[in-house]
Amino acid sequence: MSTSTTKRTSFTKALNDALDQGMDRFDEMFLIGEDIGEMGGDFGVTRKLWAKYGAERVRDTPLSEAAIIGTCVGASMVGMRPVAEIMFADFLGECYDQIVNNAAKLHYMFDGQFKAPLVIRTACGGGFGGGPHHSQSVEGWFLNVPGIVIVAPSNPEDAKGLLLASIESDDPVLFLEHKALYRARGEVPTGYYTTPLGSAAIAREGTDITVVATMRMVPMALSAAEALDADGISVEVVDLRTIRPYDAETVLASVAKTGRAVVANEAPKIGGLGAELSARIHEECFSELQAPVGRVDGLDSPIPFSVPLEHEILPDEADITAAIRTTMEASR
Amino acid sequence: MQQDQLLDLYRDMWLIRAFEQALEREFEQGGVPGMLHTGLGQEATQAALASQLEATDCFFPDHRCHGINALAQERHKGDGERIMAELFGKSTGVCSGKGGSLHSADPSVGNYGDNAVEGSYMATVLGVALAAKMRGEAKVACAIIGDGTVGRGEFHESLNMAAIWDLPVLYACVNNGYAIATPVGEGHASADIVDLARGYGFPCEQVDGNDIVAAHEAVGKAISHIRAGKGPYFLEFKTWRWQGIFAGEFRPEAEVKYWREDHDPILLANDALEAMGVSQAQRSAIESEQVGRIEEWITFAKESPNPELAKATADVYVGWEVASS
Ligand SMILES: Cc1ncc(C[n+]2csc(CCOP(=O)(O)OP(=O)(O)O)c2C)c(N)n1
Ligand SMILES: [Mg+2]
Repeated sequence: MSTSTTKRTSFTKALNDALDQGMDRFDEMFLIGEDIGEMGGDFGVTRKLWAKYGAERVRDTPLSEAAIIGTCVGASMVGMRPVAEIMFADFLGECYDQIVNNAAKLHYMFDGQFKAPLVIRTACGGGFGGGPHHSQSVEGWFLNVPGIVIVAPSNPEDAKGLLLASIESDDPVLFLEHKALYRARGEVPTGYYTTPLGSAAIAREGTDITVVATMRMVPMALSAAEALDADGISVEVVDLRTIRPYDAETVLASVAKTGRAVVANEAPKIGGLGAELSARIHEECFSELQAPVGRVDGLDSPIPFSVPLEHEILPDEADITAAIRTTMEASR
Repeated sequence: MQQDQLLDLYRDMWLIRAFEQALEREFEQGGVPGMLHTGLGQEATQAALASQLEATDCFFPDHRCHGINALAQERHKGDGERIMAELFGKSTGVCSGKGGSLHSADPSVGNYGDNAVEGSYMATVLGVALAAKMRGEAKVACAIIGDGTVGRGEFHESLNMAAIWDLPVLYACVNNGYAIATPVGEGHASADIVDLARGYGFPCEQVDGNDIVAAHEAVGKAISHIRAGKGPYFLEFKTWRWQGIFAGEFRPEAEVKYWREDHDPILLANDALEAMGVSQAQRSAIESEQVGRIEEWITFAKESPNPELAKATADVYVGWEVASS
């Protein structure tokens, strides 16, 4: 895949390296967002880039999310490669129109005369007491929008490779960074490399059941799988990596092989990624399935501030383990 | 203004009027799908802009800008009929019929496309302007919006950001008195939109949008300011649209009479030309020339084929194909 040298790196630093190497490689790339300059962003992802590339290419903005994404759309229409930071994914509502009606549609509605090669990085997900407006999983807000690419890494190596691939992409990318993963560490190649968009990874091979997971659900699924080994249940974990357009081929091939599936996603249950994957698996793997697809999602509720209440809403490793056991037991 | 220049603008205004009147007729007969908003009554404002923006500039047209779009095609490529074909949803249209009245674009003539979500491109225009500034291009990026659109948050985000970054943006606000049926003074804290814009600290000017000479001069001044690298400029054109609401005419009779009879942009220009000694015959010839041209465009649009069905799912993504069935 990549260069041979690797280094133990945090998810945050892997993203920072991707931005740095992207800025170095592409003159038409620039960064834009609130306090991403000297301060380095709320989560430190853009640290030191302002000092290295200057205020022209690492642009601080006022609290104007629509104008931030509008600027990216307009600049990308004339061939720039902007990368925006929307501090919390919960604020994507402020620029929803720019993403859904402009970025996602302009290549189509103007008959291919424009492209929108922009990236919107944003911190999503719960589990830290952020409350109703700093904890949401927003992939469902965008899943129903043709034209947008949704990328959702689960580990530092993919975070870097997927971000560089997103920067290279000529389609608009919504790049989701789960806040609970920022501190995750792993071996990351130090050089420039890309991890293909629209391609899932088999994070762990297994033979009895497939867990299709995204972002923070991936390390949880891997941990659940290790524990279940002792009980003789062999779990395959598919890390979806790109949520839209997603890699149906890898998902369906895995389920066809194992005959069982659990889909694990942090967002609310109704109308989201879990619903789409479950429907698709039932549609296309019906004859191979030995049990109905199991589902692990957030409860159908906003996310409360109280930590025990938040735990009640969000899925965790125990929920994945339980869904795997239920699906195994339900097998015909 | 020189006589030749006024004659050119008179020709442009007639192109718009003939275009919209023919389109209205075809729409009533059912040949034009979707919704129709015309620029009738606003020809002077539109001609003033279209005649001074270059192909290398950028403009975001609003929902009444068929005329500007057609003039841009005519002026830079000589194919104004492709705007008509687009409105008929035909394959020969500028977007192969995929955009229609509210989404016609052709960047090669500076047309970056309308957006039916009013005011969205108030944000988008910033990016085109920023890219031009970063690259050192003398491009003007123009957003054309109605008075009603001033209510969008993007309006204020845009003016603020253009001001702090000194961006080469020309804001062209077409104040025709109403947003659908809401009078401008009821929808906004001021009926004079320039008053709302002034706080952002760059030049703001209100001009009679039905006076082609005044409108043309104001646009020229704004464009020179922007090209000289002096940052954004806001123009408010006071005008009036002929089109009422779907239910018909709702505005007071005296108001209708004033704008349609006493202050119609074409009649005003006609009077000015007469005063310069341009004969009635010459003025009428311009009118019939443009009416005839538009009828040819209508025929072209009607006779053009529909887009191939494969176009339905083409260009959803650059990097992926979407299954066509
Ligand atoms: C964001 C948004 N809200 C509402 C509408 C529906 N709409 C279409 S035209 C219009 C009025 C626009 O008024 P104005 O900007 O003054 O333009 P005019 O039609 O008077 O030229 C409205 C409300 C829309 N297209 N987009
Ligand atoms: Mg209006």
